[in-house]
Amino acid sequence: MLSRVADSLYWMSRYMERTDSIMRMLKTNYASSQDNIQEFTWRPVLKIFTYLDDDGIGRMQDDTRVVLQYMVADKENPNSVYNMVVRSRENARSVQDHITKELWQCLNEFYHLIKEDKLSIMLQYDDPVTTLDILIRQSMLYYGTSESTMFRGDGFSFMNLGRYLERAIQAVDILDVRFSDLSYDMEKTADVMYWKHLLLSVSGYALYLKTYRSAFEARNIVNQIIFNTHFPRSVLYSLNALQRYFDRLQNDLNTEGYRAINFRIGKLRSKIQYSNLQHVSEVGLHNFLSSLNHDLQDIGNALNQYYFAYS
Amino acid sequence: MLRETGARQPHLNCYMVNPDLLREYPSIPSVWDEMYDQQAVRKHYQDVHRFLSHIAPEELGKKEELAKRLFMSQGVTFTVYSSGEGIEKIFPFDIIPRIITGHEWDFIDRGIKQRLKALNLFLKDVYSEQFILKDGVVPVGLIYTCPHYLREMQGLKVPHDIYVHIAGIDLIRDHDGTFYVLEDNLRTPSGVSYMIENREITKRLFPDLIPKNFVKPVTQYPNILHRNLMSLSPRQVSNPNVVLLTPGIYNSAYFEHATLARLMGVELVEGRDLVVDNHKVYMKTTDGLQQVDVIYRRVDDDFLDPLVFNPESTLGVSGILSAYRKGTVAIVNALGNGVADDKAIYAYVPEMIRYYLNEEPLLKNVPTHRLENQDELMHVLANIRKMVVKKTNESGGYGMLMGHTASEEEIEAYKKEIVKAPRQFIAQPIISLSTAPCYINGKLQPRRLDLRPFALCGPGGIEIVPGGLTRVALKEGSLVVNSSQGGGSKDTWVLAI
Repeated sequence: MLSRVADSLYWMSRYMERTDSIMRMLKTNYASSQDNIQEFTWRPVLKIFTYLDDDGIGRMQDDTRVVLQYMVADKENPNSVYNMVVRSRENARSVQDHITKELWQCLNEFYHLIKEDKLSIMLQYDDPVTTLDILIRQSMLYYGTSESTMFRGDGFSFMNLGRYLERAIQAVDILDVRFSDLSYDMEKTADVMYWKHLLLSVSGYALYLKTYRSAFEARNIVNQIIFNTHFPRSVLYSLNALQRYFDRLQNDLNTEGYRAINFRIGKLRSKIQYSNLQHVSEVGLHNFLSSLNHDLQDIGNALNQYYFAYS
Repeated sequence: MLRETGARQPHLNCYMVNPDLLREYPSIPSVWDEMYDQQAVRKHYQDVHRFLSHIAPEELGKKEELAKRLFMSQGVTFTVYSSGEGIEKIFPFDIIPRIITGHEWDFIDRGIKQRLKALNLFLKDVYSEQFILKDGVVPVGLIYTCPHYLREMQGLKVPHDIYVHIAGIDLIRDHDGTFYVLEDNLRTPSGVSYMIENREITKRLFPDLIPKNFVKPVTQYPNILHRNLMSLSPRQVSNPNVVLLTPGIYNSAYFEHATLARLMGVELVEGRDLVVDNHKVYMKTTDGLQQVDVIYRRVDDDFLDPLVFNPESTLGVSGILSAYRKGTVAIVNALGNGVADDKAIYAYVPEMIRYYLNEEPLLKNVPTHRLENQDELMHVLANIRKMVVKKTNESGGYGMLMGHTASEEEIEAYKKEIVKAPRQFIAQPIISLSTAPCYINGKLQPRRLDLRPFALCGPGGIEIVPGGLTRVALKEGSLVVNSSQGGGSKDTWVLAI
């Protein structure tokens, strides 16, 4: 497969994963902004998903409609849903001969949807959940279409590398920002609503209830989001998937690249697998998360170097 | 007293001919209309005519909307970039098909094959022995002043002696229905994806109408092209690497490049994906370099190799011409074909056919004045109001003077330019292009059109997929069908019976 094509497929899928993640986050945070039980602020969301500085965040954090507008429709925000979808679709456009017509059409329709002016008006004046649901449905359509129509070749592997690497990075970032509010103290208790919304935004609430029944404890949340191999948005789950799809790229031609990246993925997986909450407490949650983040970025860079270099 | 007992619902009344849509069709006097012969409907249009008479005008409006939506969602679009933002545009599509009888098609098919055969022989001759120049049939000066003549091609042997693998020869019809060749596009003709996509859309718009009319299919085009491309591989390997070279996503025909690559299952590459090493072309893949055998390029000669042609160009591949000259890679179409579809050389194609094939040309040329000839120059300057004057090195409907509509100033300015460099112009009488009904503003109206069938030339001979791109001048009264001048397209039906 052409390096340029592999690169485009990888980014097409990374952007879609990020889009999906942002939209779910917005939806649950909007819901919690309507709960007046607690002090709500958009600060963590803006910190995870935008490049705004503290002043910028401060100006925006208490105005829900402004945040929604900025995160979904703002063309100046490089991480807005609008820009993600445009970029994902531009990538898809340049590799149309490597994705199915169904998948191309799905992304193309998403693109035309996000370009409609009425979307941003709905976001301003109507029920934002309705608007977000429309967008989320389109994103689920993307996942379903790629799953059920894409041929299982190298292209599909590169798409999944993008998807799961992005997902692992998101999971680490979310924990990092959320726990910074609690000065990374896993023993500290917080408001029930705080944890509930965090879990909801990563679609992990149902699993949490089934695993831990009722009590909301910080350590359980860390456990689920990093270590749980049955939780599709956990770091370890994502890494396992990353390893699985990467293994499919093994052949006799690019042995150097394969070895270099296999080493990095394997090492990181072991680091998490042979670790536990006690160890995390010892090194400190923030340090642990930072080292994960660093290793994940490193995998991305190695992919660039060994598989995508073409110009 | 008689009273109406309820509103009549015209769309339920299948026997009533729709008055709005058809009765007021404003045929243009002394112009060939594809559907109407005087007031009578031509036989091959009768079924479609019947269909149109039974449909409410607003139904057609809905179909037009559906067509637009399908083009948009399938990405059959080109992107116009303004202030950093891409805007998707559709190449305008008229929903009423253009129909060609099997009989007419047979003639077109034979005519194009004959012409293409001669043009291929001409290219081979010009780039090798040059018999036709030595015999004085085509003036030598005309060849060497042609900006598309490539010295680099001289003496080079191309696989199977085929220079033109894909041709898009433009045909028009005069007031009596006679077909004329307007121009031979032998370099990188585009539009074939619209032949294929327009048909797909028509299937959605008018269910059952296509099989009922015994319309010949066009879907085999990519398969024939792919088979021909494979046969050109210089390496004797079972599965040669065929690629389609595109200028990239900013090109207005990018959709076509992507579609063809997808339908043929070949790699769509950009210049930056390729590299030349030791006179061989490779593509950069995730598994290292892979040799490329055949390149169907949609990049013009001038941009193909920055070492030889335009050094500023980043669309091509450095050193690709050296690989081509070594014969390690086949390039389609061959380089230097522009010398055969130059507008001034066009005038000599009938002579080429006689010279190489000893046959009379089947398809007529539009009479063309060669302005390097003093008498013809004077004649043209005197009768410029009745002429179309074109620049020989421009296409797409640019740099054209339509004598009957131009202003005095435009004519005077143009005359000066012609006298300065007569080689760069040709003049032709204004041909009154044929019309066909188009659905415009809720009514059927006649608009001018042409036809571009796509001919594929491989080692086994020439094949022309029955159909093509019908371009239509959507502006009222316009005679220029180019998309850059407000043209659109129609689905083109060739009937089996």
